[in-house]
Parts: sequence; structure tokens; C-alpha cells
Amino acid sequence: MSRLWVTVGTVLGVAGVGGAALLYSRRASAASPPLPGPGPPPAQPANLPPLELAPLPKAGDVKGDLVANWGSTPADLRPLFMYMEEVSRIPGSARVFATIAYGESRFITTAQNGNASGEQDERDSSRAAYKNNKDRNPPLKYGEQAAEFGSGGFFGLLAPYFLWTGVPEVGKKAPLLNAPPEIVFQPRAAAFGACVYMQRLLANYRVDDVPDIKVGWASPSLLGEKNYGGASYQSIRKHYLEKVVAVGIDLADASTIPPKLSAAAWPGVPAVFAALVGSLPKELS
Amino acid sequence: MTPDLTCYGADIPALADLVGDFDLRSPIDTRAWYTREWEALGELLGFAQPLAAELAQRRNASDWVRATGEAGMAAFAAWHRRESRAGMSDRQAITQASVIRHMVNSGRDRGELWRVTVDPTLLDTGACYQDDSGAWSRAFYPDTAPGYFGDGWSGPPPQAESRCGWTTPLVLHLGTFPWVYSSRFDASGPALRWSSASAAPAVEAFRIMSSALQPEANLRQDARQVAAIYRHFRTHTAPLVSRLPVYRPGQAQAGRLYRHAGFLRMQGSLHVAGLDGSRGNLPATAYNHIIRRFAVFFAVRRATVRALTTWAPEMSRMVATSTDPCLRAQVEGVARAG
Repeated sequence: MSRLWVTVGTVLGVAGVGGAALLYSRRASAASPPLPGPGPPPAQPANLPPLELAPLPKAGDVKGDLVANWGSTPADLRPLFMYMEEVSRIPGSARVFATIAYGESRFITTAQNGNASGEQDERDSSRAAYKNNKDRNPPLKYGEQAAEFGSGGFFGLLAPYFLWTGVPEVGKKAPLLNAPPEIVFQPRAAAFGACVYMQRLLANYRVDDVPDIKVGWASPSLLGEKNYGGASYQSIRKHYLEKVVAVGIDLADASTIPPKLSAAAWPGVPAVFAALVGSLPKELS
Repeated sequence: MTPDLTCYGADIPALADLVGDFDLRSPIDTRAWYTREWEALGELLGFAQPLAAELAQRRNASDWVRATGEAGMAAFAAWHRRESRAGMSDRQAITQASVIRHMVNSGRDRGELWRVTVDPTLLDTGACYQDDSGAWSRAFYPDTAPGYFGDGWSGPPPQAESRCGWTTPLVLHLGTFPWVYSSRFDASGPALRWSSASAAPAVEAFRIMSSALQPEANLRQDARQVAAIYRHFRTHTAPLVSRLPVYRPGQAQAGRLYRHAGFLRMQGSLHVAGLDGSRGNLPATAYNHIIRRFAVFFAVRRATVRALTTWAPEMSRMVATSTDPCLRAQVEGVARAG
């Protein structure tokens, strides 16, 4: 989420011929997202047991509507985005999460920006994020790996910031401090990070409309007094709105997305983590 | 007695077992099985919410097979109206609806609704429609290349010249709707786009697909046709699926496809994953749906034959005149066993 144009390495395992991961650019047409090509899934640290969180929520797990104004959002992800809205108590955020996931990952949970040779600047961003913030945040057990990771998951979250999710609210009790960065590939963990990030943007920055959220997703500093309305700000909004059109969600549909989102009813990091992720294995908690 | 499905192939009983066995004579059994299968269909295609509402309205129904069928049709039609993004022109959709009606009528006579075929030049519409520029176009994709449901079919050629370029028969696999083409797949099913402002051929096609869940309609379908298409599908997908790891609870990596109880499973969206084989990309959603349609067909067939003599003796007369020797033998076997 730290820059505009990055490539997404899709690494879904499929039973096909060949073994190379298919790489495609986020600049590619979004009208018909390609099927992922063959390739191994991202590796986890060798000293950790396989990590598998609960499966995606189903339609019966949510109350909100899963039919209107979802565009081409996959049917099996709509309940997750709606569950995020209901758990975070940010009305209207479900479809906004869908637009962000489309733009950041094309709905591919193992999308990673920083694992290809041409993604040096994304790794630079995660290195800088770690280096510049490690002294003022609780230590990350997998800090060095996070620094080299770049960003990833459904919402393109930058690894060190993702693992520090919740620190401003709960300090050393933040739930991902002992987790490896690859946990961002778990849909529910990424969803937790995205909910907290959305809440922080809405609560602490100038967010006049939905595209402002995406500007903050790229960099909260762009919502500050100095940068608000500047060239980068405008560019991000423009590209975001192109993706919104491509995925087919109408941000002006007030019956599903209020003009301005509010996190006034935020239940807190522990409640959101408990609902979305539950508990982590003892090695990670 | 459990009817012997091996007449259709040694692998057919295991296929039916993927969705579990049930006894039509047991209301509890029937209710649980039909609820689960309709919910699975709704989850995969995306109409689970309206389906839940429709089922709730009918929760006291005594005939649960019929109630789920009615609820499913109502839910799908309502969902499709809201979900549909005006996939095509009125002219194309109206032509499609007319063609499907014709194909279903003639397919029903032959007991072949799973895959329907027609010479498009013998139809009133020619299976053609006029686009906005006045040019004639084919109303359906000419699906005769080798694919996952067959090795392709070039003939018999149309008896007359087509004004929109048909040079092959029109073939639709309605049994696996919305994946109706053997050689064209996408993640959500191409036939879900069969709709316009004033016509919804997708709803009619859905009705045919879901009729496999209705015992009488199921019995009318020639199971030999279904088994042959399944065998082709399995031939081209089994090698791809066999390369996938078997899912073990708690051990799965995010974003990796696994085999699990006959279906594909992934921590992530199945809509963006798939199998890549010699017949092209097969989305994981399509694979799961198609396998389930085959399994459901034979599970309902097995349950219907088992219950026939006591549950619906009137259907026995229909079976007696069936051209399917397997079906006749199954019913005789069940009757002998009492």
C-alpha cells in the first residue's frame, strides 16, 4: 500500500504444466482478471508449524446484503468483506474493502509486492518502515523477515506495519507481534489488519469521502495538511476510481455506501481480532 | 436395498457418495440432504442469502423436495434479476430464450436434457439475432471444439445456410449450468450473463439444471448420457487434480489448492484459482460445481430408484418403458428384494 504501481506475484498452487509463478501488473486491464498460473505457494519460516486460520465466513455468518452493488466481487469473498464491516462497525465499509482488495491484489490472497526482482522499491519501503519504527514500537519476532517482505495479502499491507497492527491501541498486547509476515496471506489476518487500518484512517485523518480512504491506504501522510489535494493525492484518487469502475461497485450508491464512512462505533482491537482471527497457535501468540 | 449404479460405470457409486446417500422415504433424511445441497448450490453461485429467506418461508412444508425446488427457483430468479449486469441485448436474450425452449422440448422427448443439441438452421430464429448495427450474430457460442465435456463435434452440419454463420450444431450442457460450454469457462459461469432487460434465459436454463434434484425429472433423464459426459470430464481433470496435495485440517497453506473429499479447497477465493490443463483453464469454482452436479444427479437417481416401489409407484410405470436397460434392471432388482 506504500506506492501506486507495483506488480503482484500470484503464487497459487494449481495442477498444471510448468511451475513458474504468473506475474502480472496492477496496471494491466482489470476487466478480466486472469487466472493465477502454476507455482508454489509462499513459504513459511521453516521453524514454524503450518498456519491455517478459520475458513472464510459464509453467507449465513453475516446479516448484511451480499447481492446489491458488489460488482464482480467473487461470491465467496463477499461474506468476508461484509463480516469485516459488521465486526468493525464501520457501516458501508464492506464494499470499500472489496474495491481496495481488487486494486491491491485482484482478490488473490497470496499477492505479494516485493517478491519479484523488479520490486526493489517495495522492499525498500518495508525496510524503511521497519528501520524507522522499530525503536518506538514493541519488538517483532520476525522483524527482519518483515523488513524484507514488502507488502501482501488481499489488501496490500506493508509487512512491518501489518505486524504492528493494534500497537497504538493495546501496546505490547498487539496480537501479531510474534507472527511471521506470511500470516498476511491468511484472509482473516489480512482482514483484521485492514479493519484496524481503516479505523485509524477514519479516526485520525482528514477523510472527506471514500477515495480519500484509498489515498490514506497508500500513505496517511497524503491526507495531512501539506499534501492533501496535491499531485500524488489526485493521482491516487484517479487510479482508484478507475479500479472502482473496473470492479463495478458504485461508490455513489448511498443505500450501500454512505458518502462518508464513520468508525465512531469501533469496538476495539481485541474484539475485532477475536471475531476475525480468534486465537493464534501458542508459538505465535 | 441400494440400487447398483455400476451399470453406468464402476466409478459412479463413489461419485454419488461425494454428496452422501439419503432415503427419500425418510422426511428427516430428505430434509437434511436437500437443504444441504441447495445451500451448497446457493453458496457457490452466490444466491445463498435469498435462498435462506425463501427456505425460511417454507420451513413447515411437508413436501421438502418440492419446497426446496420452489424456493431455489424463486431465490435464483430474484438474485439473478438484482445481480445481473445487463449481460446482453434484448434481441439476443429473447432469441436465446426461444431456442432454449425449443431445445428443452425436444430434449425432454429423448430423455436428454443434460446436453441438448439442435441444428440451428431448423429453428425459426436460426439461433441468430440482429445487433444494433443490423448485422446478424449467433445467439450462443459455437461450442464444438474439444473441451472438458467432449472431444468436439463437427457434425452433422446444418441442413441449410445460416445467416449468422452457424456451420456446426448448437450444443448446450444445461446439466452443469451456468458452465454450459465444453470449451469456454470462466470463474462465474458464462450462462449467468444470459439476461437482458426483458428476458432471462438464464433462469430457464437454471430450471433445467436444478430439475436433476427432482426425482421424476431425474428419472426421465437418460443417465447414460450423464455418465458419458462425466467420464470425459473425469478423464481430463483427474490427472490435474491428482497432482494437488490432499487437504489436512490445520496444515493447509493459504492460496494453495487442495483436494478435499472429492472437491477443491483453498484458503482464499476459489474464483481466482483453477486447474490448467490441455483443454484450457478450468476455474476451481467450475470444477466444484460440475462435480457436484454429476454427484447430485446420481445420488438422487439412487435414492429415487430405491424408494420407487413404495414411495412413488406411479413412476414405476414410467421406468418400465425406459430405453435405459440399467434403469430397468435397477428397478427390477429393488422390486425383487422387496
